[in-house]
Amino acid sequence: MANLDTVFHGLADPTRRAVITRLAGGPAAVSELAAPHKMALPSFLKHLKVLEEAGLVKSRKLGRVRTCALEIDAMAQVERWITDRKRFWEQQYDQLEAYLASTALEEKTDDSH
Amino acid sequence: MTLTNATFAIERLLNASPGRVFAAYSSLEAKSAWFKAPSDIETLDRDFDFRVGGKERFHARWPSGMTTDFDATYHDIVQDERIILVYDMFHNGAKLSVSLLSVELKSEGDRTRLIHTEQGCYLTGGDEAVRSREHGTTWHIDNLVALMEGREARAFA
Repeated sequence: MANLDTVFHGLADPTRRAVITRLAGGPAAVSELAAPHKMALPSFLKHLKVLEEAGLVKSRKLGRVRTCALEIDAMAQVERWITDRKRFWEQQYDQLEAYLASTALEEKTDDSH
Repeated sequence: MTLTNATFAIERLLNASPGRVFAAYSSLEAKSAWFKAPSDIETLDRDFDFRVGGKERFHARWPSGMTTDFDATYHDIVQDERIILVYDMFHNGAKLSVSLLSVELKSEGDRTRLIHTEQGCYLTGGDEAVRSREHGTTWHIDNLVALMEGREARAFA
């Protein structure tokens, strides 16, 4: 199950964001991903593990090479869904404001509220 | 099929008393004046029963041919203060989400702060997932990274 909190935790680190940005360009081997980062491989692997646990990255072993790829379809869908929902309600509330403005005059003549 | 839980909130400061805002929710006539689609849509089914346990439904067909179905049950209503409902949303007959939605009305001078909090279970992985994939994943990643780094996110298009 994808969860927004684990996703944000996954992205709350510059090394992990760099990995995500790199993987947005296509899958890559772990050694290739680790190369630009000045840290020991075990430390780097811990970052990869966080990304995998957040459901952002999937890795698989092909022969002796472990390859990583982005795995974010579910998150992208949810992000889109929330964006659409918010846009829908914002539109409804714009219409509510217009309705309240158009009926404001009636309230002044009828002060029963 | 994937299940994801997420929450979002919308706040509005409305130029009206809580009583007038509440009244805009409590009758079909008033609610229909603002709770509607902005374009020409065909209403397939409309129910409105504003009481605890009552149901509201808005099933419509859009010019594109897509159908949407908002199917709600009111769980708590306190006049001029709050409305809590649970709604299912369907697109083309497929259930997309189940949401718990609370609308709180707070008096601020002669205005009203409306706080919309929505907790949703989002069901993904059907037809919508396929369409969503066409959007590509780069937009999503760019924006998440931008948000984390405090930059402005690009609009979703």
